[in-house]
Amino acid sequence: MSKQDSYGMFVEMDKVDGEMDVQIKKKKKMKKKERMENMKREMDIDDHEITIEELELKYTTSITKGLTSSMALQVLEREGPNELKPPKGTPEYVKFARQLAGGLQCLMWVAAAICFIAFGIEFAKGDLASEDNLYLAVTLIAVVVVTGCFGYYQEFKSTNIIASFKNLVPQQALVIRDGQKNQINANLLVVGDLVEIKGGDRVPADIRIITAQGCKVDNSSLTGESEPQSKTPEFTHENPLETRNIAFFSTTCLEGVATGIVINTGDRTIIGRIATLASGVGNEKTPIAIEIEHFVDIIAGLAIFFGFTFFVVAMFIGYAFLEAMIFFMAIVVAYVPEGLLATVTVCLSLTAKRLARKNCVVKNLEAVETLGSTSIICSDKTGTLTQNRMTVAHLWFDNHIHAADTTEDQSGQSFDQSSETWRALGRVAGLCNRAVFKPGQETVPIPRRIVMGDASETALLKFTELTIGNIEDYRNRFNKVCEIPFNSTNKFQLSVHELEDPLDLRYLLVMKGAPEKILERCSTILIKGQELPLDEQWKEAFQTAYMDLGSLGERVLGFCHIYLNEKEFPRGYRFDGDEMNFTTSSLCFAGLISMIDPPRATVPDAVMKCRTAGIRVVMVTGDHPITAKAIAMNVGIISEGSETVEDIANRLRIPVEQVNKRDARACVINGGQLKEMSSEELDENLKNHPEMVFARTSPQQKLIIVESCQRLGSIVAVTGDGVNDSPALKKADIGIAMGISGSDAAKNAADMILLDDNFASIVTGVEQGRLIFDNLKKSIAYTLTKNIPELTPYLIYITVSVPLPLGCITILFIELATDIFPSVSLAYEKAESDIMHMKPRNPRRDRLVNEALAVYSYFQIGAIQSFAGFTDYLTAMAQEGWFPLICVGLRSQWEDTHLQDLQDSYGQEWTYSQRLYQEYTCYTVFFVSIEICQISDVLIRKTRRLSVFQQGLLRNKVLVSAIVFQLLLGNLLCYCPGMPNIFNFMPIRVQWWFVPVPYGILIFVYDEIRKLGVRRYPGSWWDKELYY
Amino acid sequence: MAALKEKRTCGQRCQDFGRFVWNPDDQTFMGRTPEKWVYISLYYVAFYVVMTALFILAIYVLMYTLSPYSPDYQDRLTSPGVMVWPDAYGEEGVEIFFNTSDKKSWSKMSNCLTHFLQPYNDSMQNQNSHTCTQGKYFIQTHFSGPHHTKWACPFTQSMLGNCSGIEDPTFGYADGKPCVIIKMNRIINFCPGNQTLGPYVNCTVLEGSDNVRGMEYFPTNGTIDLSYFPYYGKLAQPTYINPLVAVKFDMVKNRKVKIQCRVVADNIAHQNFYDPYEGKVEFCLTVSS
Repeated sequence: MSKQDSYGMFVEMDKVDGEMDVQIKKKKKMKKKERMENMKREMDIDDHEITIEELELKYTTSITKGLTSSMALQVLEREGPNELKPPKGTPEYVKFARQLAGGLQCLMWVAAAICFIAFGIEFAKGDLASEDNLYLAVTLIAVVVVTGCFGYYQEFKSTNIIASFKNLVPQQALVIRDGQKNQINANLLVVGDLVEIKGGDRVPADIRIITAQGCKVDNSSLTGESEPQSKTPEFTHENPLETRNIAFFSTTCLEGVATGIVINTGDRTIIGRIATLASGVGNEKTPIAIEIEHFVDIIAGLAIFFGFTFFVVAMFIGYAFLEAMIFFMAIVVAYVPEGLLATVTVCLSLTAKRLARKNCVVKNLEAVETLGSTSIICSDKTGTLTQNRMTVAHLWFDNHIHAADTTEDQSGQSFDQSSETWRALGRVAGLCNRAVFKPGQETVPIPRRIVMGDASETALLKFTELTIGNIEDYRNRFNKVCEIPFNSTNKFQLSVHELEDPLDLRYLLVMKGAPEKILERCSTILIKGQELPLDEQWKEAFQTAYMDLGSLGERVLGFCHIYLNEKEFPRGYRFDGDEMNFTTSSLCFAGLISMIDPPRATVPDAVMKCRTAGIRVVMVTGDHPITAKAIAMNVGIISEGSETVEDIANRLRIPVEQVNKRDARACVINGGQLKEMSSEELDENLKNHPEMVFARTSPQQKLIIVESCQRLGSIVAVTGDGVNDSPALKKADIGIAMGISGSDAAKNAADMILLDDNFASIVTGVEQGRLIFDNLKKSIAYTLTKNIPELTPYLIYITVSVPLPLGCITILFIELATDIFPSVSLAYEKAESDIMHMKPRNPRRDRLVNEALAVYSYFQIGAIQSFAGFTDYLTAMAQEGWFPLICVGLRSQWEDTHLQDLQDSYGQEWTYSQRLYQEYTCYTVFFVSIEICQISDVLIRKTRRLSVFQQGLLRNKVLVSAIVFQLLLGNLLCYCPGMPNIFNFMPIRVQWWFVPVPYGILIFVYDEIRKLGVRRYPGSWWDKELYY
Repeated sequence: MAALKEKRTCGQRCQDFGRFVWNPDDQTFMGRTPEKWVYISLYYVAFYVVMTALFILAIYVLMYTLSPYSPDYQDRLTSPGVMVWPDAYGEEGVEIFFNTSDKKSWSKMSNCLTHFLQPYNDSMQNQNSHTCTQGKYFIQTHFSGPHHTKWACPFTQSMLGNCSGIEDPTFGYADGKPCVIIKMNRIINFCPGNQTLGPYVNCTVLEGSDNVRGMEYFPTNGTIDLSYFPYYGKLAQPTYINPLVAVKFDMVKNRKVKIQCRVVADNIAHQNFYDPYEGKVEFCLTVSS
């Protein structure tokens, strides 16, 4: 990545902003533009151009003594602490309000409003008896608020997890104030502070370098460059991003030391501005939110259709307009599935909890499902797919490439260590190495020990420690007499040692370095312990091995040694590293060792699982294309046998241009190529090549890739950790941030956080997401079904004027008490088939609630339940003295509070209260009927295609206990003393519990027949009409 | 996904809906071809025909098990309700307010009673001439009456003496000594009191006892004769008529009184908080002039 690119990123940010503007209203656009302008103006810092003296003057500081403490305190008060603020614009109350404004919530608000209106009309008419509407409105609001609190709590909790990360390691900074060196928390830094940084530190703010010694900074989190940039006090470029005398906040100092003056803190730093800009990228609606909106559309449509129909019917029958209006409202409200919101929320949070146990923390409940519908995962390489530590992968000696064990737990196969050459190579690798373990780590497994030294030396140290044994002891046995460290001109490192055997007085010179440089210095080669002359044949063998290892994307080092002539260099000879007063040519070549950041053990399997699940995994990395490709092939992102255009060209020995691009399954695109591409070309590439690797990309290009995938209709998951990934994370349908390596900005922008940075956790997320989608479908089907038996009593009451069979409070008890647990228990249902072998759902076709589901639930199962309810209702009425026919048209007399001697079918006379309690009895039997049928319903909803017996009738223990709970609660409501006058439940006769049982059996049998037909005749008319 | 989230204009939505209603490309009307609509409709017709048949079968079985003479359960009718006539409801329950000098106001009351007593007309009652033995339950195990029925004891208007409306068709409303009639609801197989002591009506003045100079019960002592019990139901006793008790109040004019009339018997409950008409009735009485 060139510096031009990194500057270009701001142009890209502009583009993002611009695209967004189109979507927002004009007024907002103006404001946004203004803000952008401001931001750009602020970017024009000149602190790198002015002289040190001017700088001192500007910030009233001193490059020797730093700020005064009082001054620092003043500035801190004025400018605020030096930390990245989480994006503004979502105060807590807005977050809470958002929880109250989802699709279902809106439906319920509207219903509550209608209830209030209906209550108002009734109240105005002086009808004080009916407070049901008021109860209903209050309950609806309560449900929305309670579930809102629930969702808010979930979000709050996961934000807390992020917050706890933040507090885990308070960053420290070495600051000079009043001429004194102090270690303070980095967030207390202010503009003008004089700070010192050294290798390993994170740069605590934007800093103008004053002095530097070999200071190198890793800018990857800012620009994506993986090469370290050296920092010096000289002003080298007008562009602040390119000049060498500014180090940026959040980048890491790799080596050397430097002092500098803080010129920007907190959100005013370059990285802070990018993070703020990222907050401007629109958040995508989650697929589940879209599904729920679609579902609300269906519900609202049906409700209004039904309400209007019965409004007309009521007017036709001869009700007054106002009365008919109230009927209309009541029907519309009755269609609102009060319990559904709670069910959905609980199901989602159950899954969220399950995911959290598997190290996926979900910030937004709805995002739980998103992974399930994901069709493309854009994955980062380093740390996500790989272990993020250099490890020895291959060795070349005895003219063979040997593979080393790269697994994290050293469970893999090791190579043959019997060769004499290996002993020599191992000795060179162990001795010619300056890295050491930090002390006190004897109990830590070797791969996880902390090492002082650079990446490749660390890898070699760990490797030799594992293969040879205690390397510290080993080094002590070979006393080191002279050493030349690695430098970029020599490109080698050597050391001279005494031999282990005290009788052998020769010195051993060991050397490692760039393979071609090492080979130049060698005249012999060690093969099977024999020193053979290094002729052309061996050189060719070396070249082949070097190329092979290089093409694996590995960093290759060459190793050689020589026993120095005893006579020329007797004991006590003064070796001088600077003068190099000893032999450094005609050495004996021992072998090559290559290193790589190896993939995590679980990743290939996880990628394979994604592939079988129909999910494309696209690698997007800032790393070198060769390494990226090698890792991609290693983990299966580029599958075996897939070729890129270049591979085909190589194989057929034809120019790249002649290759038919459609033949190449795989494609590696680097950042430079991507920059040249139009978005159509990118789309074309994504369509043509199923296996894509993007290398050398700036994190901003990630955003472009994500947008392109979304244009192609995919649901995109993005993993990332850097601040600059945050726009892509936000733009993605689901952004997944890394919990360990992730920056706060990335975690803020993401919807999900992988606590273990492990790609395999994503697969778990996909599985859970798909399962919850299937199970939510079942839950919704279950919940919707009872809407009809709750509604039909009212319809019959209006049209046939029977005493009301089912009351409002009773309905609320069904919706919000007895049926919640069973509907939630469906979330524990196992998958019917291997969901990880299916394609991701098509968001256009596979809806959460489709027509078939609604129609089957409403007009078939719901209808059977209604018949059950009416049978039980008529039974209870008839057995108490009211025959079915007398009930017809009885309503006005039945409800006449002034009529105390209404005659039943037997001539007995009833007071109003006696009739009222009889009505409550009816409510209760209707309630019981719905409950009994719902038990049958929850059993049939366990599966959509399989027979319940194939799934295991009682395998879901939660569901079984939910049924028991439902029955117990039903009994409690019926038989608890005091219920009649509080909640209108009556202790009913035991046999009325059994009246609906045949209907329950009917539901079960009917659904088994339906499933049988669906299984037997896939694609048939039956399947199309009755499979949901 | 992007395409799914595009904001659509209202026109586009309408167009989409129109396309849903009739899609000329695949000849579908509301998502189905006409042929498919016929199939699905037939399926639903069949489904509902079967379900209705099952439902009717269930109701038929239910009716088959029921006795035509007495209900299976009388869970709500453990104790009879009591009501007063004239049943003039006001804001606080039954309010018998009238003005002796305003004929319209009291004739409403007396008309109500006249109307109420029509079935008790002596000549009508004497048609089912069964002489009952007073003072004991009239228990009938066989259908000894005409047309396979059971006998019912007659209760004639004249048994109400001064309140019968025979001598005084104004029921005392014109001269400020109004009659009210208390009726106890009938319940099949319900025998109030015990073998020796029948139920009787007892009225107490709850508020304003000074304003009631006196009250007189018809029949005497407000007793309801045991021979009217038990009731055997509409089918067995088509001529059954509830025994009544009339009470004549001697009121101080222009004063409001609240009266509770209770049917006293040891198996008639009167303290049910939730049913003010069980075993008793409360009403307000005001005679103005």
